[in-house]
Amino acid sequence: MSVREYLMPRSVPEAIGLLERHGQDLLVMAGGTVAMPLINDGISLPERVMSLRHAGLDRLERQGDVLAIGAAVTLSQLLAQDTVPLLREAAAHTASWSIRNMGTVGGNLFTPPPGGDVAVALLALDAQVRLAGPRGERVLPLADFFTGFMTTGLAPDELLVEITVPLAARDTAFLKLGRKHSNTPAVVTVAVALERRDGRVGAARIALGAAGPHPIRAASAEAALTGAMLDAAVIRQAAQAAAAECQPFTDGIATEWYRRRMVGVFVQRALETL
Amino acid sequence: MASTIVTFELGDREVEVMVRPMTTLQTVLRYQLGQTAVKEGCRQGGCGSCTVLVDGEPVMSCLLPVEEVAGRRVDTLETAMPTDGSDPLQQAFIEQGAFQCGYCTPGMLMVSRALLDHDPHPSRETIIDTLAGNVCRCTGYAPITAAVQAAARAGKDGQPR
Repeated sequence: MSVREYLMPRSVPEAIGLLERHGQDLLVMAGGTVAMPLINDGISLPERVMSLRHAGLDRLERQGDVLAIGAAVTLSQLLAQDTVPLLREAAAHTASWSIRNMGTVGGNLFTPPPGGDVAVALLALDAQVRLAGPRGERVLPLADFFTGFMTTGLAPDELLVEITVPLAARDTAFLKLGRKHSNTPAVVTVAVALERRDGRVGAARIALGAAGPHPIRAASAEAALTGAMLDAAVIRQAAQAAAAECQPFTDGIATEWYRRRMVGVFVQRALETL
Repeated sequence: MASTIVTFELGDREVEVMVRPMTTLQTVLRYQLGQTAVKEGCRQGGCGSCTVLVDGEPVMSCLLPVEEVAGRRVDTLETAMPTDGSDPLQQAFIEQGAFQCGYCTPGMLMVSRALLDHDPHPSRETIIDTLAGNVCRCTGYAPITAAVQAAARAGKDGQPR
């Protein structure tokens, strides 16, 4: 272990100041469930590590028409809220109790696939992320935050400080297929949010996990649903579109072929619950 | 690499340790404070054998820099239960044959204790979900699930209710 300093800033401005001073030498860590295994194994050898646990980012509260989630809110806190049922379900299907007590919502956005189940639900809910840096703050749609495998729109001198979820009326579903009953990495994760308009589907959002380099939206499947009556034929069409457009991968959990098949099956099942 | 001093409560006792930055709670408990029930398993947060309670909540001590528990209460198997195995939860594990090699047992007991403290009468489904973060390669989990169910039935004082 070669860490020279473990920094615990007490506020966001202090954290941004430390990030500015130490730049790329500083590893930013929240719950540690992704960073610590790499440090313990000597794969990651940071000189300085900054903990975000004490920077005042652990509040989860309703603010007008959004649910504001501090970046360091734990998955257990997310499981305890009932303002957004889809997020509760996503948290329930993520890791184990001890890990949920440590892992954070912000950290989940940096967890490489097949992890990042909460991020999939947030994507379906049209969440936004608030980024803070030395020049001030900016807000990005979560869909634009993900840029590639383990890369994001976060600038090197910025911190993810908050995730906001609009509290619109919508029907939602969350389904995860794993190799075990619980505490299991995803074969695929599917989150769906539909807004209804005059008996038809208004806005449709389908998000997929373990089906691309980061949580992705299934745009063609969404297009197949928008404006349509949600009947068996339309559901099948959307499921086929999602299977065709996703970009799954092969790892120790499942093959690309199997994941693509399961995207179709689980998008169909998720839509059938609505 | 200046060392720092961290003070926390280990059970009912205040302890002070001098550590290099970012030493894990697991390392401190096992190697500096002699809490050998805190196993060094995978060091990945994947096996649960290092599970301890911080302010009553189960965490993987291998993933937690000890600086994070400053001023907080930490419980290990040694501080949470008697060493003679007389706690009703320990007795249930013994009676149900809920271990063979015993490596996972401290972690299993800690997470089970936390569960029963939060929810004295958990469903079988809840017990299974709760134990999912702790790996056992001997028992197949059925005797452990049965032990937690039996302990829940017996209650904290060991008397049926």
